[in-house]
Amino acid sequence: MINANHWKTYNKPMSQVLAFLSNAHIVQAIIIGCVFAFLTASIIMNAVFKRMTTTVNGWSTTTKCGKPGNSLLERAASARTLPAINLVEEAAYWTTTRDSEGHALDGRHNYSLVFPSGQLPPNDAFWSLTLTDVAGYMVNNPIDRYSLGDRSGLVPNADGSITIYIQTTAASGHEANWLPSPSGKFKLMLRAYLPGRAILEGDYLVPPVRRVD
Amino acid sequence: MNRFILKNGRLVTFVILAILAWFVYRQFIVKGSPFLPFAIMTGVIWVIGTFVFLYIWPRMTYSAYKRALLQKAPGGPIPVNTFYAIPKLASASASDGSLLSTGTDSILYVNGWLELSDGPLVLHVPDFMGRYYSLQFTDPSTGTNFAYVGKRTTGTRAGDFLVSAPGWQGSVPQGMRLIASTNRSVMVVGRVFVENDGDMQAAYELAKQVQVIPFDA
Repeated sequence: MINANHWKTYNKPMSQVLAFLSNAHIVQAIIIGCVFAFLTASIIMNAVFKRMTTTVNGWSTTTKCGKPGNSLLERAASARTLPAINLVEEAAYWTTTRDSEGHALDGRHNYSLVFPSGQLPPNDAFWSLTLTDVAGYMVNNPIDRYSLGDRSGLVPNADGSITIYIQTTAASGHEANWLPSPSGKFKLMLRAYLPGRAILEGDYLVPPVRRVD
Repeated sequence: MNRFILKNGRLVTFVILAILAWFVYRQFIVKGSPFLPFAIMTGVIWVIGTFVFLYIWPRMTYSAYKRALLQKAPGGPIPVNTFYAIPKLASASASDGSLLSTGTDSILYVNGWLELSDGPLVLHVPDFMGRYYSLQFTDPSTGTNFAYVGKRTTGTRAGDFLVSAPGWQGSVPQGMRLIASTNRSVMVVGRVFVENDGDMQAAYELAKQVQVIPFDA
């Protein structure tokens, strides 16, 4: 019979290795190292993505995701933040979680987004403005409206500009231009499919989201 | 669970770090175990692990997409080398794992996961009659969109495309266009424009006709 003690005697090098592993808390070191590595990689990816992004009027956009020839860091940052999205030639995306003064968008306040006359996102397919929670999920609302866009029958103002009202309760007199917001913090995403030249060349700027109360 | 972690990332991180700090405090300050070997080992794993995470991040992301596309397809699991047209638009009631939970409600998605190990595949697209659509071909190891079929790149007429694995040598039959993949696995995300609710059925009928069959040379 070979009991545990025999095994230890005959496998001294092995038991020394095991002893070292346990004294050095190797398993714990691996777990902690992996957690730190995960967090460090996340911080790096966020920083790289920030560098790939341009932000104007609070709206962030990037034109690099999914492009052939991206570096290892750019590929990781893209996969983390905007996986599976289109090349910019196919669709341009802008997101914001901030109003024009840099405060987080929150259902406790009312906001307006005014596109000056002729300044809707130029495109050859469609555009839409979608509201989600901060994690990117659509939120239930009484009129089942999750987005507004070129087919929403938006009513222009007298000067031809278009105002979108972003608030939890119906915008009286402007129901067609009302994008319902949830009670908590939220995010807006603007899409333009087959973006026009002004977008691709970086000349088109999305107007800021202004708090109105 | 997904939503909880996404929404409370900082809290989850803080809790994990607090547990680890408690362990280090117990083991090395209260019990007085030797700290140096542990610290060196942690540092080595930390540095190597950071590079590994950055390198495999696209792969991890797209293997999650593979699961969402195949196992969690809204109509039940689908096999590889098939396309599934999702008969619904994105909405707040879509389930967590579904790709519909974060999309746009102007688009019908028609998705597939291609495996080219057993030879090339033939992709057929119907005549979209001017309607906006696109099929995005993504390399799941890098996230690179290496090819598109659709209004912008190939027009909206009906067509057949031969999708081949890297290194495939053969001749492309007349009337087909070649899509040379950079990987033996390919994620295809198809987007078909929906004008309004009344247009859903027409868009869905077209999306369903996007199909893929094995290529018999």
